[in-house]
Amino acid sequence: MAAARALARIVVLLLLFLTLVPLPLTHAQPQPGGELALVSTEEPDTLDPQKTGTAVTGLLMRYLGDTLLTKDLKGSYIPALARSWSVSGDGLTWTFQLRNDVKFHDGSPFNAQAVKASIERALSPETKSPIAGSLFGPVADVQAVGDFTVTIKLKEPFAPFLDNLTDPRAMIVSSQAVRDLGDKFGRSPVGTGPFKFQEWRSADRIIFARNPDYVWAPSTVHAGPPFVDRVVLRIMPESAAQVAAFERGELSVLALPPTDVRRLEGTNKYTIYSFLRKGVGLFMEFNVTKEPFSDIRVRRAVSHAIEKNSVLQIGLEGLGEVASGPLPPSIWGYWDGIKEYAPKYDPGKAKALLAEAGWRPGPDGMLQKDGKPFSFTLYTAPIDTWTRSAQIVQSQLRAFGISMEIQTFEFGTLLAKLKAGEHPAEFMGYTYTSPDIVQLWFHSSNIGTGLAFSHNKDSKLDSLIEASRRETDQGKRLAIYRDIQKYVVDQVLWVPLWTNTNYIAVQPNVQGAKTHPDGFLLLNDVWLK
Amino acid sequence: MRAFLTRRLLLLVPTLLGVTLATFLMLHLTPGDPVTIMLGEFASASDVARLRAELGLDRPILVQYLKFLGRAVRGDLGSSIRSRRPVQEEIAERLPPTMLLALAAQVLAVCAGITAGVTAAAARRPSVDSAIVAVTLVGLSMPTFWSGLLLILLFSLTLGWLPITASGGLRALILPAVTLAAPAAAVLARVTRASVLEVLRQDYVRTARAKGVSERLVVYRHALRNALIPVLTVAALQFAGLVAGAVIVESVFSRPGLGRLAVTAILSRDFPLAQGIVLVVASMYVFLNVGVDLVYGVLDPRIRYQ
Repeated sequence: MAAARALARIVVLLLLFLTLVPLPLTHAQPQPGGELALVSTEEPDTLDPQKTGTAVTGLLMRYLGDTLLTKDLKGSYIPALARSWSVSGDGLTWTFQLRNDVKFHDGSPFNAQAVKASIERALSPETKSPIAGSLFGPVADVQAVGDFTVTIKLKEPFAPFLDNLTDPRAMIVSSQAVRDLGDKFGRSPVGTGPFKFQEWRSADRIIFARNPDYVWAPSTVHAGPPFVDRVVLRIMPESAAQVAAFERGELSVLALPPTDVRRLEGTNKYTIYSFLRKGVGLFMEFNVTKEPFSDIRVRRAVSHAIEKNSVLQIGLEGLGEVASGPLPPSIWGYWDGIKEYAPKYDPGKAKALLAEAGWRPGPDGMLQKDGKPFSFTLYTAPIDTWTRSAQIVQSQLRAFGISMEIQTFEFGTLLAKLKAGEHPAEFMGYTYTSPDIVQLWFHSSNIGTGLAFSHNKDSKLDSLIEASRRETDQGKRLAIYRDIQKYVVDQVLWVPLWTNTNYIAVQPNVQGAKTHPDGFLLLNDVWLK
Repeated sequence: MRAFLTRRLLLLVPTLLGVTLATFLMLHLTPGDPVTIMLGEFASASDVARLRAELGLDRPILVQYLKFLGRAVRGDLGSSIRSRRPVQEEIAERLPPTMLLALAAQVLAVCAGITAGVTAAAARRPSVDSAIVAVTLVGLSMPTFWSGLLLILLFSLTLGWLPITASGGLRALILPAVTLAAPAAAVLARVTRASVLEVLRQDYVRTARAKGVSERLVVYRHALRNALIPVLTVAALQFAGLVAGAVIVESVFSRPGLGRLAVTAILSRDFPLAQGIVLVVASMYVFLNVGVDLVYGVLDPRIRYQ
């Protein structure tokens, strides 16, 4: 069960020690030494950044490796392993000038040859790379044109190129270590980062040690090696056990489960940070190709029949806010007018719309049409807050004579069923960094293969989404995203229910933690009191 | 005896073949595949297709099964899709902690269960018997994920006597072993009690009592040995059950082990790994059964195998 929840985080993607609120900087003198203990529900598949498919490995690679460039705390690109970079006029040839004072943890030199070898390994079909292989885009070839100059030629322009290069899985690995270690590289990776790999005790913990030679830190953190001696990632599948371990002082930082937030806040022992999740935490989505939700009046009626605040208060214990559209306020592109624009709880309207669609109360008070009762199955995943929310929605709809059954599936199974479109309606949630997420949820090219679980083929929506991806003027893009949000609400593809607030608790002795807008903790400046 | 053993061991072949086929079909008939789970929901269709081809998952199921079988016969269980490591290596690493946990739980369960069962059966006062029966009912009904967390809250967090996780060596084994042993001990107590009561009604026990043997000797010397046969069967099958029960206990106590590995393998549709684990556990089950049959003969000299 715990593992099912771990997988649910494919979508929930609640990165473990993620916060968007900068932690306060302390002015006391940092002390070196000590051990910082983090925790993960999921164990990494491998620590080879080019072979991994788990989110937690991506997170660890931020500490073990460096990328050619990175992002500062405002999200702008800044130099990391590359001092500078430029692109040819046609957007095909990228040139990177590399630092000359870097070396890998195994002592091997970092230079243009190393970068070339690392990228070529990520692209090689032999590597069978789940994610790293597609980060670099349509690469034609990689050349070392000098000791510290690399060019990457693309077959066609690739807009996400620079952004992808900041992904931790695009880090440069030591090709000497890859050669020496072979298949063992994934259990003893070698990079250039502020921490180096020390030990991996299966299903228990992963230990990284401070890299004393680290003098090539990017400008977001202090120059020089990190302060703490070790970073330990504990692997604990059960969230109740994580909380107990945190309270016992065995963990330094913990993403709190909703059930423990109020209690731990009440102890006044820990610093607790909170931020609104970047995504919609829970929405009900309709499959528009299936009865009864092929009728837009029925979809709209349901959206007027659900009183979202009760769902939030009971389902999520009030730890978040009511959602209105496909984007949350925490993602750029969110249109503030959506709160007013979205359908509100209105029993009168709901009943009228249902009657208009031909659904009338039968002798038992339940709605029926042509002798068939209004009943459907809601597909959902085994996540506590979702299950509780489903029960509230179930009882709210029952008051209108609609019978909703709740069917829970393990996450992988659920996704496959939703892609196949066998559901009438489902519960879903997402976390994402940009408004481009609407392409994944609503563009008809994603029906059957991607996330278009509403199975809605709509050329108007498709062209709006395509326009949002082409437009480079930010003001115009905002207007397009506003139109998309309104249109999705008009079509009632979703009933957005709530977006949760994430809570991070930190032990009082942890100082100097910095958080990155991409959702991870920078550990270079952390020290322990 | 030798013929019996040969026959039983030969039966292993069709059993394991059936087990692999059943697991293979079940895993492949479950919706969802390793690549979409690995790449996450934001992956493009072309990336999914590329990785499926690179991992050989685009080939027909029968071909994949035969390839698996061909390798398995030669002692090669393939590589995990998720971690890319050899399946044997993954299992070899996780089997010892699970066996240690299951063995500790088994010893606890047998000691506690048989003692409680005999005490209840031989109790002169009905209140003692009822009390023991009531306690076993609680032990049986408490789900391990709940009792495990209660033990953590009491002994680790409140009293601070024992560590929460696997890092504390043998001391860290106490809570998980107790959690895992509780339901097993309850079952053994009930089986022992019923079995001893049954034997106590037999003629030879009456004879023993008639010739003046003390009640203590009657119960522990004469009755218990015969009463142990069904208890032994249950205990042996329980051992395999304890390995399965370790799934939950290992998660609650963050212990490394085969149970957690199996859950991860199934949830990520890591076919080779899941297949390998099932194969190992199934073989264990079969060998245990043969072992139990042999021990019968020791306990009851009338039982002979041809």
